[in-house]
Amino acid sequence: MRKSYMAAASAACLMIGLAAEASAAANCVTGEREPPYTIGWANIYSVPTWMKQTEGTITAMIDELKAQGLVDELVITDAQGNANTQIQQIQSMIDADVDAIILIAGSATALDRVVADACAAGIAVVNFDSLVTTDQVTTKINTDSAKWGQQAAEWLIGQIGEEARIIVMNGPAGISVSDDRRNGATPVLEAHPGIEILTETHTDYNVAPAQEAMTSLLFTYPEIDGILSLGGALSAGAILAFERQGRDLVPMTGENARQFLELWKEHGLTSWATMQPNWLGAFATYTAVKALQGEDIPAFIEVPLPIITNDNLDEYLARADEFPADGYIYSDWSTALFDELLAQ
Amino acid sequence: MRASALYWRIQRRRNRGLTGLFLVVLAFLVLYVIQFPGLLTITGISKFTQNWFPLALVTMAQVILMLTGGISLAIGPLVSLGAVIAATTMTGTLGVGGGFLAVCAAGLGVGAAFGAIVTLVRLPAIVVTLAGSFIIAGAALLILERPGGSMPVWLSDLLAGNTPTALGLLVLILIGWKLYLKTPWGLGIYAAGENPVAAFRAGVPVHQVKIAAYAISGLLTALAGLFVAAQTGSGDPVIGTPLTLNSIAAAVLGGAGFLGGTGTMRGAILGSILLSVMINVMFFLGFDPMVQYVAQGLIIVGAVALPQMSRLWRRP
Repeated sequence: MRKSYMAAASAACLMIGLAAEASAAANCVTGEREPPYTIGWANIYSVPTWMKQTEGTITAMIDELKAQGLVDELVITDAQGNANTQIQQIQSMIDADVDAIILIAGSATALDRVVADACAAGIAVVNFDSLVTTDQVTTKINTDSAKWGQQAAEWLIGQIGEEARIIVMNGPAGISVSDDRRNGATPVLEAHPGIEILTETHTDYNVAPAQEAMTSLLFTYPEIDGILSLGGALSAGAILAFERQGRDLVPMTGENARQFLELWKEHGLTSWATMQPNWLGAFATYTAVKALQGEDIPAFIEVPLPIITNDNLDEYLARADEFPADGYIYSDWSTALFDELLAQ
Repeated sequence: MRASALYWRIQRRRNRGLTGLFLVVLAFLVLYVIQFPGLLTITGISKFTQNWFPLALVTMAQVILMLTGGISLAIGPLVSLGAVIAATTMTGTLGVGGGFLAVCAAGLGVGAAFGAIVTLVRLPAIVVTLAGSFIIAGAALLILERPGGSMPVWLSDLLAGNTPTALGLLVLILIGWKLYLKTPWGLGIYAAGENPVAAFRAGVPVHQVKIAAYAISGLLTALAGLFVAAQTGSGDPVIGTPLTLNSIAAAVLGGAGFLGGTGTMRGAILGSILLSVMINVMFFLGFDPMVQYVAQGLIIVGAVALPQMSRLWRRP
């Protein structure tokens, strides 16, 4: 009798030990996951240029992993902007028992249950760019939009001084990334009471509407000292508006949109830009495979924002031909960089 | 005896255009099962019907309106409204029962209001529901600015867990619709849509029939929203948006006409299944997303053209 208690106790100890060992590995990944792996890429909408470029980094990474014999298939779905379709496609990936799912979420909450189902099925789930709410994923990868706004505001104030009039250019109202960038700038602007915000614009992240909005503002405000633009197409639109009216350009912030960087160079502007690097897609793919190989992956990986200034602008423009005219010139990526980010 | 012969003749006429679609849907389902045999398990069938169920509901809602000669461009926003009401009330003070009633009230209320404006003020349904869609979309955003809220876990598990509850609900709704068609107002729907003047002279209360149809349609739409909230465990104020066009596409696929009086619920079911199963089949066939856009269009055109072509062949 006592013997069986002992056996039970030691079995329990063993199981606790095993459980502890299992939890040390990446979240979600369970069962037999042997290479070569099948990776599912659940995209919300494949049409925008940013998305196409991001998919380009994913396929480049997959080719590299295929050459190493780690991956044999990449399954791509496009939900065409419909979160309900994305749920259905992730369900199909679970049904097909892919080894890993990488995804950009079409809704902050709607995918929570199906993503948790995938995690429970032992599939590595790596979520990047637009994030889900649930913690039932292997990891989430993103930059910090609030820091984007904060650093942009700090740089601009450093250029134009404590007493200045600025215009803030935002993306569409009610879009979380647009809100987050703006909210990041708020404390910096409030800490400098001499900075007067003349007005703010809310347009799509496209050149034409931004240019239109800025054109009418140039008539209204004869004196503008700086422009806090929180998107690359917005900055390009602003430059074009200034140019058409023959106004002298003022310091402004931006993003790595190729058109903006080229206008920046062409006008000899003093500027600052950051980016949502497209290689987040390649990084998510790499991370998923690392997780499948049993490596320890942190639950959240913050990617620092790469910064473009007048000092390194030429390095970016030297590679401009490799990118589409309406695309984004992202910083260089390599698996060495990814290893560094995973180790942080 | 003669009455029942007439009934079957009408049923046959309504089925005629659907045979082709039925065969297409059957072919897709067979293809799906071959690729994913797990569909034939309880979990498989549950998950598939859960993903299809909201589209089935809104397609039925759209067909009801198209039968009366109307249409709704507010389907998507009303789904979102149902979802955010459910996600903000059901775990709050109102509880599941209160939240359910709130969703039903919103659906019936919005639907009846559309119906009243369309029939009594005589404005085109397309205009009324387009304007209404902005109001409802705004209301959904006012209730829940960003995705959030929550649903009771047991309700999510019941409706969208590993049991085919959604399929059962769908059967109940179809039985309910059959029974409704036996009532005077139900009988009047086809008549009021096909020829309102004749229907009115024959003693059909055309206005009441139409307003009731809009209310029922609104109810189904809002309940689709409740289901989406349960399925996702939360509310998203823009989750329904793509369903407006999808409901029209599925309704037309299912043989509903824009001029009123043509369309069936079995058509709505078939049309919505096709749109849904297509996504899964293309996934398992490993189609490239860009090819999927093209394939999707070809399948839809093919499914609509097939019955027309078979009619041409039958003629000589």
